[in-house]
Order: sequence, then C-alpha cells, then structure tokens
Amino acid sequence: MTGAPQDWTRAPNVNLRQVGKPLVRTDVPGKAQGRTRFAGDHVMPNMLHAKVLRAPKASARLTRLDAAKARALEGVVCVLTAADLADRRAATDIPGQTGRKRLATDQQILVRERVRYHGEPLALIAAETLALAERAADLIEYDLEPLPGVFDPVEALKPGAPIVQGTDNVVATYKVRKGDLEAGFAEAERVVENTFRTQFVEHAFLEPEVGLAWVDENEVINIRVSTQVIEHFRAIADALGVAHNQVRILGSMVGGGFGGKEDVTVEIYLALLAQATGRPVRLAYTREDSFFGHGKRHPFVITHRTGVTQDGRITAVQITMTADAGAYVFLSPYVLLYAVVAGPGPYRIDNVHIDARAVATNNMYTSAFRGFGAAQACVAHEQQMDEIAKELGLDRLELRRRNFLRTGDEIATGYAIESAVWSDDCMTKAWAALGERAPEDGPVKIGRGVATYQQSYGRITWLHDTSEAWVGVEIDATVVVRSGVTDIGAGQVSALAQIAAELLGVSLGEVTVYNSDSATTPLAGTTTATRALYMTGNAVHLAAEALRGRLIGRAAEEFGVAPSEVDLAESRAFVIDAPDKSMALKDLVGICASEGIHRSELAMFRAPFTGEIDPETGQGRVHPDYAFGAHAVEVAVDTETGEVTVLKSVGAHDVGQAINPAAVAGQIEGGAAQGQGYALSEAMIYRDGELMTPSFSEYLIPTAMDMPRVQSIILESRSGLGPFGAKGIGEPALTPVAPAIANAVADAIGRRVFELPITPERIVMALREAEPRKGPR
Amino acid sequence: MYADFDLVIPETLDEALEALAGAVGGGNGGTQPLAGGTNMIVDLRARRVAPSRLVGLGRLDGLRGIRIADGRVRMGARTTMSDILRHPDLAGHAPSLVDQARVFGGQMVRNAATVAGNICSGSPAADAVPALLALDAEVTLASPSGTRVVPLSEFFLGYKRDARAPGELMTEIAWDIPPAHSSNRFYKLALRKGDAITVVGVAVALAAEDGKCGTARIALGAVAPIVKRATAAEAMLCGQALTPELIDAAARQAVDDVDPIDDIRASAEYRRHCVHALTRRLVTQAWERLT
Ligand SMILES: Cc1cc2nc3c(=O)[nH]c(=O)nc-3n(C[C@H](O)[C@H](O)[C@H](O)COP(=O)(O)OP(=O)(O)OC[C@H]3O[C@@H](n4cnc5c(N)ncnc54)[C@H](O)[C@@H]3O)c2cc1C
Repeated sequence: MTGAPQDWTRAPNVNLRQVGKPLVRTDVPGKAQGRTRFAGDHVMPNMLHAKVLRAPKASARLTRLDAAKARALEGVVCVLTAADLADRRAATDIPGQTGRKRLATDQQILVRERVRYHGEPLALIAAETLALAERAADLIEYDLEPLPGVFDPVEALKPGAPIVQGTDNVVATYKVRKGDLEAGFAEAERVVENTFRTQFVEHAFLEPEVGLAWVDENEVINIRVSTQVIEHFRAIADALGVAHNQVRILGSMVGGGFGGKEDVTVEIYLALLAQATGRPVRLAYTREDSFFGHGKRHPFVITHRTGVTQDGRITAVQITMTADAGAYVFLSPYVLLYAVVAGPGPYRIDNVHIDARAVATNNMYTSAFRGFGAAQACVAHEQQMDEIAKELGLDRLELRRRNFLRTGDEIATGYAIESAVWSDDCMTKAWAALGERAPEDGPVKIGRGVATYQQSYGRITWLHDTSEAWVGVEIDATVVVRSGVTDIGAGQVSALAQIAAELLGVSLGEVTVYNSDSATTPLAGTTTATRALYMTGNAVHLAAEALRGRLIGRAAEEFGVAPSEVDLAESRAFVIDAPDKSMALKDLVGICASEGIHRSELAMFRAPFTGEIDPETGQGRVHPDYAFGAHAVEVAVDTETGEVTVLKSVGAHDVGQAINPAAVAGQIEGGAAQGQGYALSEAMIYRDGELMTPSFSEYLIPTAMDMPRVQSIILESRSGLGPFGAKGIGEPALTPVAPAIANAVADAIGRRVFELPITPERIVMALREAEPRKGPR
Repeated sequence: MYADFDLVIPETLDEALEALAGAVGGGNGGTQPLAGGTNMIVDLRARRVAPSRLVGLGRLDGLRGIRIADGRVRMGARTTMSDILRHPDLAGHAPSLVDQARVFGGQMVRNAATVAGNICSGSPAADAVPALLALDAEVTLASPSGTRVVPLSEFFLGYKRDARAPGELMTEIAWDIPPAHSSNRFYKLALRKGDAITVVGVAVALAAEDGKCGTARIALGAVAPIVKRATAAEAMLCGQALTPELIDAAARQAVDDVDPIDDIRASAEYRRHCVHALTRRLVTQAWERLT
C-alpha cells in the first residue's frame, strides 16, 4: 500500500564534509588510553568519605534512631539524620528549567518517620576514611516497626489498601478519546484481546553514582558529580534552602546514564555533608548502593483490545495501562504520558481509547529509563500485532504494512506527523538482513521476530524546552564550544564538535568543547529524552552558522565576491568556483579580530512550544516529532530446557541524518544488548517490597557470550528537526528490541509468554500448558 | 568494604599447615585458607564470613598443576579453571571437566578460581563438582598430623558442611583415567550464557562393557543441598544395553534422587523438569559415543 518512500532528502544547506562520516569520536582516545577523568577520579586534600545508611524494610515506622555511638567513633566527623535537617523535600520535577509546580508527594531527604521503600535513606555519615564511615553505619541504632505495605499496583487500587502517601495511591492518570470506538469495533470483523506484562529493570550503567562536593570561599556549594542533568542545581538549592546561584554542578564524562542519572542521586547528600562539615566530601556508591540508589523502569500491565477487518485493517483499539510507580512519584506521570502517546504503535488507527494510570506501591520508586514508557508500550503493541496476524492468518510484516502511519497521519493524541515515516523501509531492510534461516536441530527450534515503534525525541512541548550553546573562533582559528550538555557516553560532545567543525571548516581535532558546568557553560538542558543532539546540536548549529556568516562575509569582501560564492573548509576560506582565491582561516580570523568583528556567538534553540493536551480527550501536541524504525532478530529455542540463543540481531532506524554513523551504530548495538536483557534475563525482583536481586550475580545483564554480532542499518530521511535533518537514536535503538525477541520466541515455539523477562522456565511452562501430559510430573 | 583480618602468606606447605593448625571449626570465623579469593572476597564484602586470619595459598606452587601418570590424573588443589582449559591432554580424558571450566564464570574469574576453592566453598552449584563426582575423584586432606584421602562422594555432609577437620587443607584432587570405552559429559543450565550461577548442572560418565553399560555415574548440581549423585538412576543403567526407554526411565528416576528448592533463579518444579531433560540428553549423548 505504501509504495516507494517519499523522497525526503533535502539538499543540505552546506556541502557536508565531516557530518555523516564515521570519525573517531573526540572522547575515544582518552577513554581508550584511560586518561578520561570521571567524577570518581577527582579527589581533594582534606576530603571526607561518605556513606548512606538505608532502611532494610519496605514499609515501616521509624520509632528510634540513635547515632550517638557512631558520632562518638574517632574519625567520624558528621552523622546527619532527619532530625538534623529542616523538613525539606527532594523536589521531583521533570528535570531542568521548567519551573513547574512540585508534585505533591516528593521524597523526604532522609526518613523522618515513615519508611516507604526498601533502601530509603535513614542517615548520612562523613568520616576520615571509608572504612570508618562503614563502621559508623553499623553503630547507628534504629527500630523499625513494620507497617502493612502494598506491593502490587492493582492491589493498591482496591478499597482498604494501605495508602503509601497522601489520600490515595493514584499517582497519575491519562486518557485518550479519539474517534468513535464503538463504531470502530462495529466495523471490525475480529477482536483480539491480550494482556502483556513487563518487569522492574535496572539501568546497570558501568559507573555507579559518585560525586565530590565542597563549599568554596564564596559559600557556593560545588558538586562534581556523575549526572545526566546539571540543571538539578536548582532543586538541590531548594532542598538545602539556599539561593539557586549558590549551588554549582560540575559534570564529568559520565559512565552511562540510560535515565538512571536523570533524577538527583548523591548530590543532596553530598551538599548537606559538605555544608555541615565545611570539608570536601566524596560519596561513591558501591554497585549494591546503586541498585538501591536510583529509580527503576516501571513495570506495566497493558491490555490491548483490537478490532480488525479480515484483510488486516485495524479499526479500533482500546488500551488500558497500569504502571507501578513505587513509593515516590519522581517522573512517573511523564513516563505514563509517553506510554500513552506511543500506546497504539506506529499505526494509523482512527478510533482509539486509552486509559492509563500510574499507581503508588511500597516497591522501589520508578522513573526514567531509556524508552521512557514508550518502550513498555512497544512491548505490548508489537506482540499484539503478531497475535493479530496469527489470528487472521496474515503475514506479520504485511499486517504492519497495511496499518503503518504515513506522513500527515494523526497519532493517538491527534498530532499529525510532519516528518518522514520510514517504518516500512526500516522493517523490510532489517528483515531482509536476517538472511538465510538457521537450520533446526532436534528440540532446538528457530524463530524470527520483528518490531517497529514510534518514539519521540525531544521533551514534552508544553515544557517549552530550550538549549543554549556558545561557539567562538580563537585567533589561531581553532574553535571553542561551550555548552552545559552532559556527555553520558553516547558521543554527545563529539557530535557538537563535529557540527561546529563542519560549519566553520576546521577539522574535528581543532574543536575543543567545554561542557557540563552549571556556572560557566550556557545551560543546554538535560541529556535525556533523545534530546541532546536535537536541542543542543541545533543550538551549536545556530551559533556556528552565525559565526560562519560573519567569517564568510568578511572573506567575500577580501576576495571581492558575493558571500554566497565563499565556503570554508580545511581551515581555509575560498571562492567556490575559483579555489585558488583563498586564505588561511587564521588570517581571516586575524582580520576579524583586529577589526572588532565578534568572533563568538551565544545561541538559544527553542523547541516547538504548545499548551497542554486536552485532559478529557488526550488530544494535542505532546512532542516535537517522532522517530521510526525496526529491529529484527532470529533466535534458537531449546524446547526441552527453554534456553534462548539470539542468533541474529539487526536494527534499522531512520535517524534523519547520522552526524557520526559510528556513534549511531554504537547506540544500535548497545540498544540491542540492553533490549535483549530486558526481553530475556533482566528483572529486579521485589518480594513484599524487598529487593531479592541486589547484585550482578542475581541481576543478569547480557554478557559478550550472550550477544550475537549486531547489525546496524542506518537510514537518513533528513526530515528531522535536529541539525542537518537529524532525528535521534538514543532511545529508539532500544525500544523495539525486546518485543522483536518476544515475537521470535513465540514464532519458534508456537506459544507466547506474555510476561517479560521470557525466562527458560516461563518458556517451559508455556510449552507444558500446550501439552499437559509432557514432562516428568 | 571493610574487614579486619590478619593475612599470612606461607612459603611452604608445612608452614601453611602449621598456620592453619590452630583453626577452630569451619564456621565463619577463625583461621581460613584463601586460594583465588573469588568466593572469599565476595563473602567478606557481604559479611557472610568474618575470619580473624586468612592463610593465603598463593605461594604454594607445589599445590598447582595437573599431572597425568600411571593411569591417574592428579590435580593440585590450587589448579585454576584456566589451568584446566590450557592443559593439552585433559580434554581427552575428562571432557566434562574441561567443558565446565569453559562455562565457569568469566575469564578473570577462571584465571583465579581454584578447584579446591570450588569444592570447599560447599556450594551445591559449584560447577567443577558434578564432573569430579562422576569421575570418582578423591581428595587429599592434609594437617600437621598427616594426610588422608577421602572419596569426593563422601566429602559433602550437608549444606556447606564437609568432611574437613578443623585446620585441614585440601592438597590434591585425583582420579583414575577413565577406561578406554567410556565417555563423560557436562552441561550447565543457567539464565545466561556467560558468568552465571548454575540452575541445574549435570555430569554423566558411562563406561561400556560388551555392548552394555558397565558403570554409570550421574551427578547433579544445584538441585539438592549438596551436589549429589543420582545413585538409583545409575543403578538402573548398570549392566544394561541402553535404550531410549531405559534412558528416559533412569532420567525420571534421577528426578526422584534430588531435592531441589525454589529460589529467585528457578522453581523446584522447573529444576526437576530440567534434571529429567538434561539427564536423558547427556546419557543419550554419552551412550551414542560408546556405540
Ligand atoms: C563473578 C564470579 C563468577 C563465578 N562463577 C562461577 C561459576 O560459573 N561456577 C562456579 O562453580 N563458581 C563460580 N564462582 C564461585 C567461585 O569462583 C568458585 O567457587 C571458585 O572455584 C572458588 O575458588 P577460589 O580459589 O577463588 O576460592 P576462595 O574464595 O579462595 O575460597 C573458597 C573457600 O574454600 C576454602 N578453600 C580454598 N582453598 C582451599 C583448600 N586448598 N583447602 C581447604 N579449603 C580451601 C576457603 O577457605 C573458602 O572457604 C564465581 C565467582 C564469581 C565472583
């Protein structure tokens, strides 16, 4: 039905010499040679070591907390409990500069009376050595009186359920009312209904949370920390009761974030201890601390009831979603909203009904995680598509093709897509790349699966997102970029350098980026929501373009030609049609400098601004734009033991424009691994709220032994809102992987496991249900 | 992590035995040997153990290495999983032991983890143990008052309890080279392919005599408080020509020989299912190699 993809390829406004090339990222040599200094590599003279004492129960009343013995221990400098703090909260807002009203149930900084989740902090310790801090933690005495808790979001909604906080357990609700659901179901010839479940997931970044804080001579609290969001300085200042300009966050290269460093982690603890002691304080989480120290991916229960015609056209879909928000609100409302927007998937469906809620429990709180609700939505809609295809006896790809959104079609929330929708192209290419099917061998069955998605890039449009960057040209024609953006390992900084290098005609090595300092670099906003390249890339583009205009203008004067006839490349300015008419960029910059021509530019990029969606219908614009793509896999399933081997894994994504294809491939490969863990082996298991999987021997991320070679297929529609038509790949790379694997397993064994992770045991049990008399018992 | 203990690093076996001699009971305190540390350090961090003194075995080179002579394989207690993988002849005699080393932990752990440490950790999921049990291995225990040899099948007394007297050091693990018409296999079922704790471990060793199964050994890991031999299932195979029906019946018997628990990795029911499926598979494969 879709035919050839619309040709979106815009003539780029510059002749791309560096953008689109797989250059060695600027962060690579330092990392490869071990020279990069992460937040944990920084130490200061006279520094103290901190430790957080956490509650070993999920729901309890703190009836006694006595730190006297810990304080008496020689070498222990400070122990803070809630009694020592003003009753302030760690504000949970969507991070950054929105100034939105705080949500009602922000987290207490330390437990004052009520413990709401396993691991909630009871006390902070600063001591001369880490060993002393740990010993002090053992000496703090406390009594916890168990209180009834609630550990399942469905239970939490029942009358009489224990209330986690406030008046009820509903943290957020969203609904969509689009078209006429009844008419849609009346038109349907089949109705397919299924319920899909997902689990708590841990980010498992390489670098656990770590930071170093000190109070400087101006009473400014400086915090060097591993974070995705330096703009948290405001929330930290509020929590401390100081002015916003009295807190400074210095980022470092971040050893992975995936949303787990999107909320405040160690910053407030560090600041409080540095304030209290007047000495520098370092806090480094162990892996175990980290498992307790940041929110997890929301488990969702999602039901799809889909009406479809015999020839595979979806006429209506009714979706319900229940997410476990855990003990505190954090970003749950936003995660829920993203799940709703992505709910039906990348399909044009005119009649849509969605009811979604996030519910408080005494489980670990849940918050941002790569894919941010849309990933959970994808797990459901893509498995549902396969189930519908099975029901209709239709090819799974063909069913998708008959329903894919196209440019101009409205998504569930009523926004009409303006950019390219290359879902079909991506799906077709990913599927074809699977090549020849592996042979089956006895009990080992082979299966294939594909999944497609609709993933936003950029933040919610009513948050009025902006990003700033400063670009300057030095007298020797080297380039400096200053921007607050945090680099969380995906090459965010390198991409900015590449954009500046492209526009100013210098090599990547001639650009230095200073980033991630809330006091001295222009604020760029968060490295979250697949927005860093889109937002800050555009800001750098704006600034560099302005400079480029000035340089070219002055060079044109010098050459006696029109500015449109001049280009910059290889550190020279030259006349395009007469390249022998040229001058070194250094000389041009020298002229500019002596004439007082401004050699720097501070630019702000503004995303589209809108009001909120209609609360009754859910209609309105939510995001700037969406990315589309597909992931396909082939698996082998041992039907006797249930073991799954992923044999092939292919991601094909329209990234708009790849700034650095090597970095894009890195995202696709990482997404394939993280998504494979989500599908098959990763689960944070909480039993009555207590974490049963507190280390990497229980929480199983895929190893090199588990991963096939991942193939990355990069499509470029140049239709995105980012620099040079870029969309984004950070989150999209992950989103379709788990459902593709789920579909492949179902294809292999002829049964579906409706709950992630699809463990060997669940596969065996699903097969046994099919044949009740098989097996020894 | 903090832990207070003295560390002694003896140069000779006698010094080591002397240093250990004062050790009080296995338990969690007192004096304990330290080999690769891949269990000990984890246990110290988790505060499952609190020894007052550790006796590091790192300089006792005599305790490391594999010697094959006079029909016997003799392996020093400090032999690592990587040593097993590197040995040129072991794969011929004991593919089950080599296979378990291949799927043991990750490379860094394999470089440090010793065979005696694996046995003495007492974990029912210890991967070297099923293969060694199926090979009828014996262990040598030493103390200043002398040495004694204990069959591995009698070494484990219960969950984390074994036949070592206080202060006794394991110095050697040895077994007879399996006869010509024999075959041994190992399979580790875990929740991922690299570096994972075993959910069900199965080792099988068969020897054929005149077209029949002469001896049979089936050892099962992670399905009982100790790594266990399925002796009733073994008995069903001995002296028989193995048919698919008989193998299946023995595999079902093996399920009755074990006593798995539910834990976060798997249910007891799933473990029983896999004991059946994997025992059947490994016995079939071992038998196919003999016929
Ligand atoms: C990441 C990781 C992965 C792992 N993967 C696996 C795996 O796949 N399979 C598996 O089975 N295990 C695994 N383990 C557990 C561990 O590596 C093994 O049990 C290993 O064999 C222990 O040997 P070691 O030399 O490190 O023992 P140590 O930790 O040094 O000692 C373990 C215990 O044995 C005692 N001991 C050591 N040597 C002697 C001796 N000669 N005589 C008497 N007592 C002694 C010690 O006192 C201690 O109680 C893993 C551990 C880690 C950390």
